[in-house]
Amino acid sequence: MSWVVLLLVALPFTSAALSLYLGHRGELAERGVAVGASGLGLALAAAVAFPHLGDAEPLGRVFASTSAAGPPIELSVYVDQLTAVMLLLAHTVAFLVQVYSLGYMAGDRRYPSYAALISIFTGAMTLVVVADDMWALLIGWELMGACSYFLISHHWELREARAGAVKAFLMTRTADLGLLFAIIVLGMRFDTYRISTIMGEIAAGGFGRDELWLPALLITAAVIGKSAQFPLHTWLPDAMPGPTPISALIHAATMVAAGVFLVARTFPLYLSAPAALTTLGLVAALTMLVSAVYALFTQDLKRVLAWSTVSQLAYMFAALAVGAYAAGVLHLLAHGAFKALLFLAAGSVVHAVGTTSMSAMGGLRDKLPDTFITMTIGFGALAGVVPLVGFFTKDAVIGATWEAALHGRLIWPWVAWVLFGSAVLTAVLTVAYSLRAWLLVFFTPAAAPATFDTEVPEPHEAPLSMKVPLYLLTVPTVLGGLLVAYPELVFGPGEYDLTHPWLAAVMTLLVALTAALVAWQWQRSGGRDPWHPFVLPHPAVDRIYDVGVVRPVEWLARMVRAGDRDVIDGYADGAGIATRGIGWLFRRAQTGNVQTYLMVVVVGACAVAVAAGVAG
Amino acid sequence: MPLWWPLVLSALLFAIGVYGVLVRRNAVLVLMGVELMLNAVNINLVAFDAYFRDVLHGGQTLALFVIVIAAAEIGLALAIVLRVFRTHGHIDVDELRELADRDPVSGPGADQAAAPGADVVQEEGR
Repeated sequence: MSWVVLLLVALPFTSAALSLYLGHRGELAERGVAVGASGLGLALAAAVAFPHLGDAEPLGRVFASTSAAGPPIELSVYVDQLTAVMLLLAHTVAFLVQVYSLGYMAGDRRYPSYAALISIFTGAMTLVVVADDMWALLIGWELMGACSYFLISHHWELREARAGAVKAFLMTRTADLGLLFAIIVLGMRFDTYRISTIMGEIAAGGFGRDELWLPALLITAAVIGKSAQFPLHTWLPDAMPGPTPISALIHAATMVAAGVFLVARTFPLYLSAPAALTTLGLVAALTMLVSAVYALFTQDLKRVLAWSTVSQLAYMFAALAVGAYAAGVLHLLAHGAFKALLFLAAGSVVHAVGTTSMSAMGGLRDKLPDTFITMTIGFGALAGVVPLVGFFTKDAVIGATWEAALHGRLIWPWVAWVLFGSAVLTAVLTVAYSLRAWLLVFFTPAAAPATFDTEVPEPHEAPLSMKVPLYLLTVPTVLGGLLVAYPELVFGPGEYDLTHPWLAAVMTLLVALTAALVAWQWQRSGGRDPWHPFVLPHPAVDRIYDVGVVRPVEWLARMVRAGDRDVIDGYADGAGIATRGIGWLFRRAQTGNVQTYLMVVVVGACAVAVAAGVAG
Repeated sequence: MPLWWPLVLSALLFAIGVYGVLVRRNAVLVLMGVELMLNAVNINLVAFDAYFRDVLHGGQTLALFVIVIAAAEIGLALAIVLRVFRTHGHIDVDELRELADRDPVSGPGADQAAAPGADVVQEEGR
């Protein structure tokens, strides 16, 4: 079994190499490799994951280890319930994204590198979730950062694609330093890099409260960067110029989910360090509100979804911050399903309309019936409408914060109260922005084309390869709530306080009220945008980064360039100019008149003779 | 006969030869200067041969060599002069400056430098 895990890690990288090798040799071959390998990966992931769900012993195996000085660095895997569900999530979404890309990226001339990068991305995520050695985890973690850079800048002709890719890479990369230092600190403290051993020792007790605050806070820093939490939350919306399936992959299953996964993986460490939990909770409380407000006002469909991702990730961190492990992980799974659905549906809309701006959409309900149905389910799950998965997991998260606020002893009650208030308010805002986006895309009458010169193609429904993943994703979105009812299926037997009936009733009431309010406002504004498009200023932290980091670096770069051009080049150019000048001087003697040369010879000979006579 | 008589004669001849080589503009006269210098050397060789009473007469032998070489040299040089006259229409050594080192792109005479070369090519190709 453990070899299958290793195979599962190696498979995506092999398929990536094959994709790149095949290149443009044949459409069938390149597409077949990409989709076939991800399908095989999904099958292997299922084979690995299902035996480890529920009441099962975790699988741990060390394949090789170094014997150099210091703690050994190992090639080792560890598959427990968390790894199993993450494997399923990542490989399902990756497979669906590959299938979807058949239609979405049809005719794209960079398809081979695109498919290869998705494969590497999947492989990196697999490595992160199965790795038992922290260095292996770091490798996967960094590979994801690199792949996201390449995939966001897929359309590198666009300036904002390049800028978004650089921003994403720099922000996550900076935060990744936290993980690096955390690995070093933990390795020195425990004399091993094996995660399961370290977490086992911490869980066994013997560590004082907050004794391990340093590695916990360092990991928190890395997670904040990877999962786009405040104050590094701005890279995710700016990563939207990438192809839409990539956004689905990054937002639902891999990149940002890795942050939540890391917290869940090192959860014993967090439980022993409430300082880190408090930090995480406050960051989450702030992030979910701020990003929900941005989602409420932005005009771009994909940016709405991106901000909602940031907001929903903050929900997961809120659950983890109050110690509700199961609620956080379940919300991660639920979000993976419905956000992948939403992004793929948004991709279908973009595919039909040709732009991501919601002002150019509207009235698509009849033209894109399949997209309409699936996206409605996705938005419903995001907003927390009753039978859909988002309702159950969000209720579990809010209930967990409520419980922690009332009688939790893990973090200060006021932090839990802040989280609770923030979560409820964000839930209301989520309904508002989901409903607004839904209305604007599907119901508002389409804006008349501004110019009649350009031929505007009629929006058309996506091909079958794009529709099938959408419908497949509605299955977990609709039925996922069952997992909240029966968490033993995933996490094994235990006490899971996931359902809070009266809180759910209140939340449903709030959802209905908000929805009614937004719908009424929409009616009143004549079927247009429910509230005046109000351009929010760019996130303030971006301006701080701009002034504090970007401009100094650019200034320094200009200085270095000037130094290179004016000082270093000065020496080289000066040597050249001096040589030319001396050459010019000596060339004066070469007149071409032989008699002049001879005159020099004769005069020189006479001078030598005279000198010899005088000296001798 | 004292030694300094032929030596003074040869020095005068050599000086006249150097003068001719350095200042005459006619290539044939320059060659005549060269001949004068060679023969001044010949006088020196013979004079010293006689003065030292050399048994093998190395000086006289060398003088004969020089005469032969001078004949060959003047033949070659006159052929070159003839060639120069054919291509340039004159044998003024002051004007024969194609081998001067000039600035490749700019500088006075750059275009003029190219023109005679082109003439040569045309003449050669005829």
